[in-house]
Amino acid sequence: MILQESITTAVDSIRANLLRSLLTTIAIVIGTASVIAMVGIGSSAQRAIDDSITNASARTLVVYPSRGRGTQKISAAPLSISDADALMKDKEINWRIAPEIRGSKSLKYQNESISIQVIGAREDYLSILGYEIDDGNFFTQRDDLARKRYAVLGSSVGAELKTSSKALVGKDIDLGGVTFKVIGVVNSEGSSGWSNPDEQIYIPLFTASDRVFGRDRVDAIRVEVPNTYTPEEAMISIERVLRREHDIGPGEENNFRINDWSQFTDLQKQATAIFSALLIGIAGISLMVGGIGVMNIMLVSVTERTREIGLRKALGATHQAILLQFIIEAVTLCIIGGVIGVIFGSSLYFLVTVFQDWVFTIPFSAILGSVMFSAFVGLFFGIWPARKAAQLEPAVALRYE
Amino acid sequence: MNLIEASNITKDYSLGTQTVEALRGVTFGIEQGEFIAIMGPSGSGKSTLMNIIGCLDSPTTGTYHLNQQEVSTLSGDELAGIRNKEIGFVFQTFHLLARNSALDNVMLPLKYAGVSKADQVNRAKDKLSQVGLESRMNHQPSELSGGQQQRVAIARALVNNPSILFADEPTGNLDSQTGHEVMQLFHNLHKQGQTIILITHENEIAAEAQRTIYIKDGLIESDTRKE
Repeated sequence: MILQESITTAVDSIRANLLRSLLTTIAIVIGTASVIAMVGIGSSAQRAIDDSITNASARTLVVYPSRGRGTQKISAAPLSISDADALMKDKEINWRIAPEIRGSKSLKYQNESISIQVIGAREDYLSILGYEIDDGNFFTQRDDLARKRYAVLGSSVGAELKTSSKALVGKDIDLGGVTFKVIGVVNSEGSSGWSNPDEQIYIPLFTASDRVFGRDRVDAIRVEVPNTYTPEEAMISIERVLRREHDIGPGEENNFRINDWSQFTDLQKQATAIFSALLIGIAGISLMVGGIGVMNIMLVSVTERTREIGLRKALGATHQAILLQFIIEAVTLCIIGGVIGVIFGSSLYFLVTVFQDWVFTIPFSAILGSVMFSAFVGLFFGIWPARKAAQLEPAVALRYE
Repeated sequence: MNLIEASNITKDYSLGTQTVEALRGVTFGIEQGEFIAIMGPSGSGKSTLMNIIGCLDSPTTGTYHLNQQEVSTLSGDELAGIRNKEIGFVFQTFHLLARNSALDNVMLPLKYAGVSKADQVNRAKDKLSQVGLESRMNHQPSELSGGQQQRVAIARALVNNPSILFADEPTGNLDSQTGHEVMQLFHNLHKQGQTIILITHENEIAAEAQRTIYIKDGLIESDTRKE
């Protein structure tokens, strides 16, 4: 009965000073909104990272030749096409192997000339990287074995030559003094950090080795690991094969290195976690500031309503009834702020998911948790003003001017 | 046994190092059904005496029995309970909750008494019709005239069927015509057996009571009954 009366009174009193009440709750709104937005964005980002781990590129290990380290001279042995073949022949894990030769060459077409990143690769290179052909064809194994002078362009190469990649299909181009025929264009894949596949040109591996770069040393061997094996298991197998190929004795160091892409996703996860922690910290501070604001406005309210408190006491309100009334008012104020914050935070999060093309999954526990926490802030910061109200002497409060 | 038995009541206030003796030993009794006026100039201790009789405050020394119950030693919450059940207050400034309807205002003491919602409404409506305001029960105080507001306050004071109706300058904020109407209402209630204590400084108003207690300098100067 008293509780119901307290809630009605609280809502009435908040409505009576609507603007003041809403301004008071702004910090609570910001706090709750950032918690909701952060939890949402965090969980979506996590999901996006998790999804990317299961797709092809994230399950690809890359073997590089070791760089020399100081005086130790362990860099002597480069990776070669035969290393790639040895990995391909090994049947322990049904992986797919994609060796690549990389280098910079000048590319000429008509009067235009640019410097371009050339990648010598095999026929399954695109599918291992998860790229797709947009126009024409990629070269075949037979083209590779025949050292065909075929080239496949990244989507934006044509634009650099004052034409378009698609317009170049079927045309002859000059790559480092050798004439190549353009047979296809790769879909626009977008930049992935330090390399941009759209600005590269792809040619068959043996063509690259024999006709362009004159070496059978490869710059990287990509290993696509099937889902049934972990990257760690694959790394052990790669080491076994390459140590045998490179004739490395027990106890000696590897003269190659394997990059595990999951290390990057781990880093990304860590960065996300730090970011979230930071924002949750800000949210915490803002809720604290909000709580102090609520306490302040409740103290004002108690002073303004001294005569009302006196009257209620004269009519029989106990200490507890007055205490309850003002605590409930503070809690209600904070819950309203919390709910507005949840709405704002969810909207913000929704916008982010639209722009990032993420899944919108707001955990119910986060909504409940942040509203409950706001209520707790109201309870905590409402106690002191409420006690002040409850301790007023009825005779004095009634005559307060 | 009287309804009110006050014996040798004193009340001291400390203002810093100074102690002010507001009441210096007041003894009187009030019987059930009396209509009594308490008078006195400001600073006489009249307000202090009213606070004590109204259970809004406790005496420093002395005993105060209300309905044969010693109340001077009760705790704050126990006094709240006594005020809720035994005393109905009517104030000079009406003291209505501005954002509540007349009905809600009258229901307020019943809420603190823990009466069921249906009973609250019935009893409040009943008292509002007794003061002739049944048709205006859903109006807020700002939509009522001063006399109507004071009648709402009287309905609120009576809703818990208190032993004492306590009125502090009830006509102070009213014009003489409405003041007269309010006094008429008190007379009617008195005829029905309601004990009424009126605090006033107006001789004219005090003259309407059967008995007048005059307070001066913290003591009872006179206690006169009209025959």
